[in-house]
Amino acid sequence: MATYKPQYYPGSTKIAKNRKKYMDPSYKLKKLRTISDDDLVKLMGHRVPGEAYKSVHPPLEEMGEPACPIRELVEPTPGAKAGDRIRYIQFTDSVYFTPLTPYMRAWMGHNRYRGVDIGVLSGRVPLEARERDLEKVAKDLVETEIFDPARCGIRGATVHGHALRLDENGMMFDALRRFVFDKKTGEVVYVKDQIGVPLDKPISVGKPLKEEELREMTSEYRVDGVPFREDKEMIEFIQRLHMLRTEAGFDPNKVKGI
Amino acid sequence: MAKYPDKIDLYDDRGRVFASKVPVEALSPLRNPAIQKIISYVKQCVSVNLEGIEKALATGEVGGKWCIIRGRSLKLDLVKNAESIADSLKNCLQVTKDDDTDVKVLKGGKHLLVQVPAKRLNAGVEYTTGFTATAAALCCTIVENFKVNIWDADMVHAAVWGRYPQTMDPLGGNVSSLLSVPQQNEGMGYALRNVPCAHIALITKKNAMNAAALSSILEQAAMFEMGDAIGNFERMHLLGLAYQGLNANNLVYDIVKENAKTGTLGDVVVSTVKRAIADGIIKPLEKKASGYTAYTTEDLNKWNAYAAAGLLAGTMITCGSARSMQHCPSVFIYFNDLLERETGLPGVDFGRVAGTGVEMAFFSHSIYGGGNPAVFNGNHIVTRHSKGFTIPCVAAAVALDAGTVIYTPEKISGTVGETLSEVPELREPLRYVNEAAVSIHGGI
Repeated sequence: MATYKPQYYPGSTKIAKNRKKYMDPSYKLKKLRTISDDDLVKLMGHRVPGEAYKSVHPPLEEMGEPACPIRELVEPTPGAKAGDRIRYIQFTDSVYFTPLTPYMRAWMGHNRYRGVDIGVLSGRVPLEARERDLEKVAKDLVETEIFDPARCGIRGATVHGHALRLDENGMMFDALRRFVFDKKTGEVVYVKDQIGVPLDKPISVGKPLKEEELREMTSEYRVDGVPFREDKEMIEFIQRLHMLRTEAGFDPNKVKGI
Repeated sequence: MAKYPDKIDLYDDRGRVFASKVPVEALSPLRNPAIQKIISYVKQCVSVNLEGIEKALATGEVGGKWCIIRGRSLKLDLVKNAESIADSLKNCLQVTKDDDTDVKVLKGGKHLLVQVPAKRLNAGVEYTTGFTATAAALCCTIVENFKVNIWDADMVHAAVWGRYPQTMDPLGGNVSSLLSVPQQNEGMGYALRNVPCAHIALITKKNAMNAAALSSILEQAAMFEMGDAIGNFERMHLLGLAYQGLNANNLVYDIVKENAKTGTLGDVVVSTVKRAIADGIIKPLEKKASGYTAYTTEDLNKWNAYAAAGLLAGTMITCGSARSMQHCPSVFIYFNDLLERETGLPGVDFGRVAGTGVEMAFFSHSIYGGGNPAVFNGNHIVTRHSKGFTIPCVAAAVALDAGTVIYTPEKISGTVGETLSEVPELREPLRYVNEAAVSIHGGI
């Protein structure tokens, strides 16, 4: 057998390399800030910090499971074991050089986390999981380099803003004004949780990253950054797939060795 | 003589080898006697909710919820007399004494599992005979056995048939079949695809391997009926049925086992690619400047079968670890996205599963209404596009759910799933199809 090493993503540009890096689970995402567990719980707004997890069904051990070889093999996540509800965290990523594009959140998430349900829409990306599993994943998503306080929004509802111009402080538009720029500290502060319910105390998510840094670490192709069309290898890949899908639809037997 | 050179090893649902080097055509719906029996049972077997009829007659609530006809009620002890009803019903349905008619009394008389004789179906062109013969015979039986007079017979009809024929289907009726009325099929040959995954999960008693197998059998048999699995495309469907649905070469089970404790969906993609390389299905084509290697294949149909098996394994890992069905559309999109990016080769069903996943994600997450995965089927407007490769994974996901949805498979399926799980070939299709494949092996 030829030595095979997962390659995750094609492409020759800086953007492709960044994509590959984030998608590779062996790459440890750089931690840039610390958000306490309680603050994260408050930001998501599904339960009060310290409150027990609500459940949607009894713990698996108590309820017993049907005789199924797959259930016997596949280890449930801690949240599934306990019967936690399924809850979500949702992000809006600005089109202006954010670390992750919407699709990247799904590709990266499915490579790094187990038992997650990620959906990609035009302006928002929800990640759903059993509640205690979600809280672990959310920590990574907010504390590390894939989150920029100014250009990524934690937004459960009224997500609009990803394609709008940034404001004078470099912040993405938010119709619910969940986050504000604190000029004194230079930090971004959440004053409302992800669906817009006011928080008792503001929660700081740290200083926005610099434009130059973001341009280096982004996974977005942009005409005013690294345009998609500059990545010949990537274009070849897309065209190849399109061709293979189409020809296979006509006659799969004729697609050989190409 | 075999049309195709492919030979496979058959395994059971626990990864134990059953037979080796069996021609893939032994699993074809055109050849395999167990698959043909399963299809016959789907047409012949009908579920009767005697308790429902008794309640409808007692309250006058016939033809759908809240449809109560005041002053019209009949107190008939149907459940208590289930055995005698079953005998009379059998007599009424039988064509000859030794035919395959059968009526089983289940749950202390609350339900009946009726098998309409094949002779009745053979004398018509529609599969609806199973339903119509049972419903009509049941009306006759109740009228006769309980001496219902001419003025009350209409209530018996309404309790059994529901609001039909005012409605297209037997709305609020108490006789049900796995198959929907033909008018509800999206196109020609869709009948076997119009079976909600809730039924499949319950029939197979939530054994995810058997749920996937039964669903795959129905879906791929429908491909033959629809005109998809023929000519250039027949082998693709046969291999898909074998590797994805029936665990050929233990591919699905092996990949699940490899990732069972800590694996992510991405890890399943890697396992699938590794196995495809190891088995010589794909090989490197060229290395790009970035170091990225695109892969190629001499057998795209087999690559599709490997990818489809990986997709099912990915569903089992993701939905299985979360014990939740709602994750499956996300698996359909991103398993394929990741697989395509990993290899440069098309994903399952050459892109159609990924597309189906996009639509299903919208319609199964309360974005545009819809419902949970248990209501979906191969005839559903947003999940009919993949040619038999998506729905088996949905069925497995539903089987693996521990109770995360409001409308449970039990609620959606009603009596049908539970009743039909009494038919061994439907409940454990892997076993029966494997046995049948071995029995005809020599003839192929």
